[in-house]
Amino acid sequence: MIESDPDATGPAAGPAAGEPRARHETGTAAAPGPRHHVRSRLMRESLLDRQVERSTESPVFRMLPEAHVLKIGGRSILDEGRQVVYPVVAALADCLKRWKLILGTGGGVRTRHVFSIGIDLGLPTGVLAQLAAADALGNAHILGTLLAPHGVVAIPPEIFGHLLPLFLHSAPGVVFSSVPPYSLWEHPPGVGRIPPHRTDAGAFLLAECFGCKSLTLVKDVDGLYDADPKLDPSARLIPEITVAGLRRRGLATLPFEPVLLDLLANARLLDRFQLVNGRHPERIQAALAGEHVGTIVHRDP
Amino acid sequence: MNAENDIAAASDELLTELGQALVEGSLSDTELLARTGLPAPIHILPQANVVKIGGQSFIDRGRAAVFPLIDEIVANLGRHQMILGTGAGTRARHAYSVGLDLGMPTGVLSVLGTFVSMQNARMMSYLLAKHGIPFIEPAQFAQLPLYLAERGAVIFFGMPPYIYWQQNPALGQGRIPPHRTDTGAYLVSEVLGTRSMIFVKDVEGLYTADPKKDRHARFIPSATVTELAEMDLEDVVVERAVLEFMANATVRRSIQVINGLVPGNLTRALEGEPVGTVISAD
Repeated sequence: MIESDPDATGPAAGPAAGEPRARHETGTAAAPGPRHHVRSRLMRESLLDRQVERSTESPVFRMLPEAHVLKIGGRSILDEGRQVVYPVVAALADCLKRWKLILGTGGGVRTRHVFSIGIDLGLPTGVLAQLAAADALGNAHILGTLLAPHGVVAIPPEIFGHLLPLFLHSAPGVVFSSVPPYSLWEHPPGVGRIPPHRTDAGAFLLAECFGCKSLTLVKDVDGLYDADPKLDPSARLIPEITVAGLRRRGLATLPFEPVLLDLLANARLLDRFQLVNGRHPERIQAALAGEHVGTIVHRDP
Repeated sequence: MNAENDIAAASDELLTELGQALVEGSLSDTELLARTGLPAPIHILPQANVVKIGGQSFIDRGRAAVFPLIDEIVANLGRHQMILGTGAGTRARHAYSVGLDLGMPTGVLSVLGTFVSMQNARMMSYLLAKHGIPFIEPAQFAQLPLYLAERGAVIFFGMPPYIYWQQNPALGQGRIPPHRTDTGAYLVSEVLGTRSMIFVKDVEGLYTADPKKDRHARFIPSATVTELAEMDLEDVVVERAVLEFMANATVRRSIQVINGLVPGNLTRALEGEPVGTVISAD
């Protein structure tokens, strides 16, 4: 199983790199020893070689094909208090009788606030991402408290991913902070300093990795509009659209994280997500039943 | 919005103008996002250097390659603060091969790669243990400044902690996690605002092709991210995500790739000398 590299020495010292092995014989490098390989299909390969990368395209196993992932908006739902949240909780309780639910929560206004303070203090994007996790986790505990009578609680992020199949086998659903664990390792955004992978992205990536049945974003708009309906009364609803179609439109704002378009374009298992209005809680159940009750964004065919 | 739950409405004057806009506005609004770029971010650890030690290219060579580098790291203690990240290497390639065959999602492959880079970090940490240098996991990064101030170095595993949340490569580009140990180490240097990012490998730096396979490969002593994009190389010496992120970075806009098999190269790179390939954003 173990092989030593026939090109044991590797390219060695000297700035003129055309003849790496010859340079090695000059002895300027430490005797490097061979690279010891474990025999495998990718042995000795550069994982950065495009041909090698392409050769790894392959079918993906679905871990939780019956589970539905829902992201419950922070600012749009949970920050709004009892009047909005209780009916959503009642709808979710109904859904839990029929389906296994993985419920992610947004961070809402507190995350926006900590971003503004953090930016003012000169903190970088990764630190803002680390800070944001606390607000969504607080909201997860709020939602978990309200769903506790149904056996659904917030799971600590440290054990959530690994134990998710076990939890879901044992309970009708789980609640998690939908913040992906990017933290200090958040990607630098192209514009400004707001972390690009927030709770929509966390829900998406989870649903994709676990091969879940659907992803539904529960917010406070009927769907995606061709303009912001809160600012422009003539805005028209777009009931369904593809990633490419949405990119062509180049809308000024989106009711979900723009990075979702990249994630959906690259998805192997998820082929769509639906955005529904939680102010009409019956639409949550309809969406899980496969009905079209908001805006569906499709992966490009 | 329900006024009682709304920080903004309850105490308007507590929020900056930007704070008000962030609380009320859309985080997908490019104009609003542009305003979040200033003030410029602080440099959290401006004296520290991030040094990533290759897995396949270095640690898999064992004692012959690793011991001289450890000696050189020790010689630099007290002179240069080092945040040492580890690559994964041949066992990750094995795990990825088996995992792909079994249909593991990219997020699970990311978990497997993390384990291998963690093994390498542990091995390095035992070699440096007598100098009081700890291995830290992501959850312990809050203690990193203390360890650096006290001991001058720490070791971490290079994989970013994305695990199940690792993104897929673009369709058709395979399923190996695109953000691996180069990316994880690079992002540490960017977020902490360190003075350098050095990748220790077993080649001089960047070549026009893989020098282990193509003897006509030409060495490239320095390049910009844009030049690299134009060259459209089939193979590159650092993960492509590093090049993408560097273009968006606010602090760490250059990296150096060096041949760690040559004694003295790491020391010279820590001194700021170009001894390999320097890649920079424009």
